[in-house]
Amino acid sequence: MKRMALVFPLLAAAFAGAVVLSLLAGPVPVSLGQALRALAGGDAGGPAGETAARVVLTLRLPRALLGALVGGALSSSGVAFQALLRNPLADPYILGVSGGAAVGAMTARLLLPGDSFLPLPLCAFFGAALAASAVFLLARRRSGVSRERLILMGVIVGAFLNALIMMMVALAPPGRIPGAVYWLMGDLSLGTPGRVGLLAPYVAAGVAFLFLLSRGMDLLLLGDEAAFQSGLPVERVKTAVYLTASLLAGSVVAVSGLIGFVGLIVPHGARSIVGSGHRRLLPAAFLLGGTFLIAADVLARTAGPSGELPVGAVTALSGAPFFLYLLRRNGGKP
Amino acid sequence: MRDDLLTARDVTFRYGERDVLVGVDLRVGEGKVAVLLGPNGAGKSTLLKIFSGLQRPRSGEVAVLGRPPSSYGRREMARILSVVGQDPPLDFPMSVEEYVMLGRFPHHGFFGQATALDRREVDRAMAMTSLHELRTRGLGELSAGERQRTAVARAIAQGARVMLLDEPTAFLDIYHRVAFYEVVTRLSESCGVTALIASHDLVLCAEYGEQIILIAGGKVRAVGRPGEVLTSSNIRDAFGVDAVCDRNPVTGSVRVTPVRKGREGKP
Repeated sequence: MKRMALVFPLLAAAFAGAVVLSLLAGPVPVSLGQALRALAGGDAGGPAGETAARVVLTLRLPRALLGALVGGALSSSGVAFQALLRNPLADPYILGVSGGAAVGAMTARLLLPGDSFLPLPLCAFFGAALAASAVFLLARRRSGVSRERLILMGVIVGAFLNALIMMMVALAPPGRIPGAVYWLMGDLSLGTPGRVGLLAPYVAAGVAFLFLLSRGMDLLLLGDEAAFQSGLPVERVKTAVYLTASLLAGSVVAVSGLIGFVGLIVPHGARSIVGSGHRRLLPAAFLLGGTFLIAADVLARTAGPSGELPVGAVTALSGAPFFLYLLRRNGGKP
Repeated sequence: MRDDLLTARDVTFRYGERDVLVGVDLRVGEGKVAVLLGPNGAGKSTLLKIFSGLQRPRSGEVAVLGRPPSSYGRREMARILSVVGQDPPLDFPMSVEEYVMLGRFPHHGFFGQATALDRREVDRAMAMTSLHELRTRGLGELSAGERQRTAVARAIAQGARVMLLDEPTAFLDIYHRVAFYEVVTRLSESCGVTALIASHDLVLCAEYGEQIILIAGGKVRAVGRPGEVLTSSNIRDAFGVDAVCDRNPVTGSVRVTPVRKGREGKP
């Protein structure tokens, strides 16, 4: 219990550290003092300070906040899917969200005129929501939704959507697709203050709702029959967890593209710190996911010899070894 | 004392084309330790699932405290009736104490904090099942007997008046089986809990059961005290096994010993 009391302050400190690091890192030099003055809204002190303040407030802070929202939301959604499917390999994209978002984004690039970028997030979100709903409706039977059918339908719908993506790539006129492909690799550069403001309420609502369902997710770990006999309205809770986690993932995918691995490994990392009770696990995963993605983004921005690396590649490159480490430490069980 | 905590009237049930229950009548009174005996596939588990509301009978009526299971809200039902399966999942990722606390869900619900009462009930349940030493252990580190005790503890923490137990001692040695039946007897005597246990243990159910319900072929074949139900002819009828039913010289309970085929009359 004493250990637990320290865990959340430490997680919060790591999170704050990652945010500060991301304010300082980049081609324009910003000192810690300048960054803090900019955040506090104080006097910048000369033209160099003003430039630094502008970089911090309009570029780096929104980007850090977007990283926090996306990383936190993907991790929370991953926690929810792992509880819902009782499967340690589940992540936010396992049941159609990624394929749906990709088809949505490509449709926007192919059918909508010009280079207007705004409709792409909307189409990606609707694609994700449609695909997730289709998986759910196909898996549903009169007696309810079983985990096995959900996973099976997720695979089938995913394969179908992948085929659609290949058709679109093959048939598209040259030059239309690359933008969408790069977007699919995951990108936090869309972190403008406006977008962060637009996304924040969705993420807040989704994560808060999942948190309210945390006892229900604890009981889902028992299996459907035992959860039912323990007093849980199992089918209603499963539906609520599924829809919330899918829409949460869909809304962040719409803004940041498909950033992989965060929603798979951060839940395991958080679980190894605070255990499997979802009242602690969800907030811990949110903080840890935000920290991880901000740190990965800093790396992606600064490590490349010329320009940025895709942040999705960085999360996978650093995440896969970490996942292996967890596997070995827990004797083969993630 | 009510005599109708659990009732079934002319209950039938089928899985696909297979008749599982064909006109079952049953009545379990308050505070009783009742044992449901019968061969594999006799419909014992199905009957328990019908009582807990997981399955609905195809026809006939079942009632818990006089009302059909479907008329209760989920949490309301769980405050009245708890269920113990064979054991918790092998790799359940929680400590013993957290797992037992899940039994308090029907009382504190989704949003409530665990109260002092919840913690007291969890402590009491762990004390009754001798789990205090193990409270911070992970479930994956427990032996089969210990895991079984945590499952019983969770059901005790649920604080229900009726407990359904589905072959709870199937994988346990004789020491742990006796310990299990001692806990159930104590619950019934000191807390007035009614227990309905589906079991294959002819020896211990004769010792601890107050009411034996023998079902076979989807029908109730006999109901009554162990001495009345556990007779050679009933056992041959239900299980197709020849057995000697005499008295335990120490306790006086009926004692069932199967007879090996072709060995009658040999020393």
